[in-house]
Amino acid sequence: MVSFLFNEWLSETMPRHQLLQLPALFVLGIILGSRFSKDKVIDLSWSIAIFIFIMSSFVFWMLPHSIDVAAINAWFNRVMHINMLVAGFLLVPALRHALFEIKIIFLGMWAAMITAAGIALRVFDILLCSAFTIEQQKETGLWLIIIGTGLYAFTLFVFFSGLSRK
Amino acid sequence: MIEISATEIKKQKKLVLTWSITFLTVFPLLIILGLLMRLNQGEKISLGMDNFYVLMTLHGLGMAGILYSIAFAALWYLIGTRYAKLNTGTGYFVFFMVLAGVAGLVIATLIGKFGAGWYLLYPLPFKGTFWPTWATGLSIISLIILGIAWLIGIIHLVYALAKEFGGFSNLLGWQYIRKKEVDRELPPIVLITTVSLVPGVIAFIAGAVFLVMFLLQHFEPTLAFDPLLLKNLIFFFGHTLVNITLYCCIGWVYALLPEFTGRPWKVDKVVVYSWNATFFFILFAYFHHLYMDFVQPLPFQYAGQIASYLSAIPATAITMFGVIAQLYHSKVKWGVIPLSFLLGTAGWAIGGFSAVVDSTIAANKVLHNTLWVPAHFHTYMLGGVVLFILGFLFYLSHSKEEQEKDKMAKFGLWLFVIAVHSFIATFYRGGLRSIPRRYSDYGGIRIEYTHSTGALLAQIASVFIGLLLVGLIIMYVSIIVKLSKRKIPSAGA
Repeated sequence: MVSFLFNEWLSETMPRHQLLQLPALFVLGIILGSRFSKDKVIDLSWSIAIFIFIMSSFVFWMLPHSIDVAAINAWFNRVMHINMLVAGFLLVPALRHALFEIKIIFLGMWAAMITAAGIALRVFDILLCSAFTIEQQKETGLWLIIIGTGLYAFTLFVFFSGLSRK
Repeated sequence: MIEISATEIKKQKKLVLTWSITFLTVFPLLIILGLLMRLNQGEKISLGMDNFYVLMTLHGLGMAGILYSIAFAALWYLIGTRYAKLNTGTGYFVFFMVLAGVAGLVIATLIGKFGAGWYLLYPLPFKGTFWPTWATGLSIISLIILGIAWLIGIIHLVYALAKEFGGFSNLLGWQYIRKKEVDRELPPIVLITTVSLVPGVIAFIAGAVFLVMFLLQHFEPTLAFDPLLLKNLIFFFGHTLVNITLYCCIGWVYALLPEFTGRPWKVDKVVVYSWNATFFFILFAYFHHLYMDFVQPLPFQYAGQIASYLSAIPATAITMFGVIAQLYHSKVKWGVIPLSFLLGTAGWAIGGFSAVVDSTIAANKVLHNTLWVPAHFHTYMLGGVVLFILGFLFYLSHSKEEQEKDKMAKFGLWLFVIAVHSFIATFYRGGLRSIPRRYSDYGGIRIEYTHSTGALLAQIASVFIGLLLVGLIIMYVSIIVKLSKRKIPSAGA
């Protein structure tokens, strides 16, 4: 597992921790999910529950206190790894069988959340995570704004391509 | 072409009646809040500043929310019974989510005294407040719930239409530009629904960004964001919401007016070009709300003026021309429904014109902080959107013959319209006399002329609000009597 091998290096700075480690684990989960849960059929209520779980997972691991503890406590760090892997693993079947409306709402709210978190990190002049520096915090904020804006554009792309399908 | 079953139509009618009853209940209550505000400005009652802003917030958020919701519900009904299969379960889900959001806002304002105005202008909901922080939090969460509910409804409706009409470009009518002959005629209501609702998706998701930022600051009060960024996001969301409410209503005028004139109203290249212009420019028109913000980049200010003209004029001109072409020598029988649509279109045109005046930078410099602003939006909302909604409610409750013969309803409508325009005239007069807007009362203004004129106009306005309520009650009686008599409304048949 990439994260276990490079865990120390990834936990060294905030951008690495937030922008590399979290998404990498999530993407690993997605790859696993697309390999092993291809044919799983998930009904509407479960897919909504999974989306809420994924959103809450991201919110939780973006909280300053969670980031701090994950950076200094190995056990808590493992929980983060598993959580993000599971979130990514569940995303594929949930997305595949979700209603179009739910997909767009999920992607749109996710984009909004990441952008807002990025802006907050960017403008906040007080150190939020004692394990990192204020410069790293601002750099992370900038990248989150870029990722959030990209995700917003992706949401619109999914929306318009969904509407264009004949 | 899709076949909609009688059972499905019945289900959709129940849904739209649920929305209609909610509207009929909430709307007069919100008018009473407006009456209390004008009485306070007219120095006839004393609400106190805090209560005034609480009422102003609930009046603004409530009206924007309920008018959009009923406009959307009517579109949903017309589309769901004619052009596409819509899931009534989703419709009820949206309804109950909206209800939950509205309940949250009512608690936050009336109990929590949240009074930041509908625009929540940053840093207002957090700094210099007189209400507890829980009220701010509850308002933000309620708005998020409302936004999600509306988004679900919009996406469901547009997606169903896209599946039925063979893709998004067909919904925008591009096949009329590409080909000489089209395989399947596009109903104008479908084109206008798309033009109205799709920009809503873009704006509502952007709106979620500012609401999440507000939520973050609510939990971490030491946070401070860029006020200009937040103002841009808020008005992108708010302006688009109000604008699309109006266009939703225009959609059903295109669909229903031909039933009374007996003339088809079809989509052609000109209609496609004009409404596609609206589709694009509606997204940039909100810049005109930021003319007073000197730090806003100058090109955006120019873009605001240009987009305001280009989003409003083509669609308005083409619709006015269409309405005239529908009515001229048509021998239409002037029942309450076509009358509501015609008078509503007039209100839309007058309000739209004064909105375009206000979106002109040179005029906005003088008019921006005056009563001209509430004048213009009350013209196209109360004198436009509300009349379209009333026309639709009559369409639900009355048969074609009944609406022609219902003299009481016609009397109520005329009384309402005369009172509305007289009430709005006090706002316009106030705007031209530089009476400031968003003032709880004018007692603190040292210029005696401004103080006395502001108070006098508010007193006159209160009388006309009373009259318009009387007109509304008369129409209510007519609608409720007819609705209670028929089990399944004939929908204008």
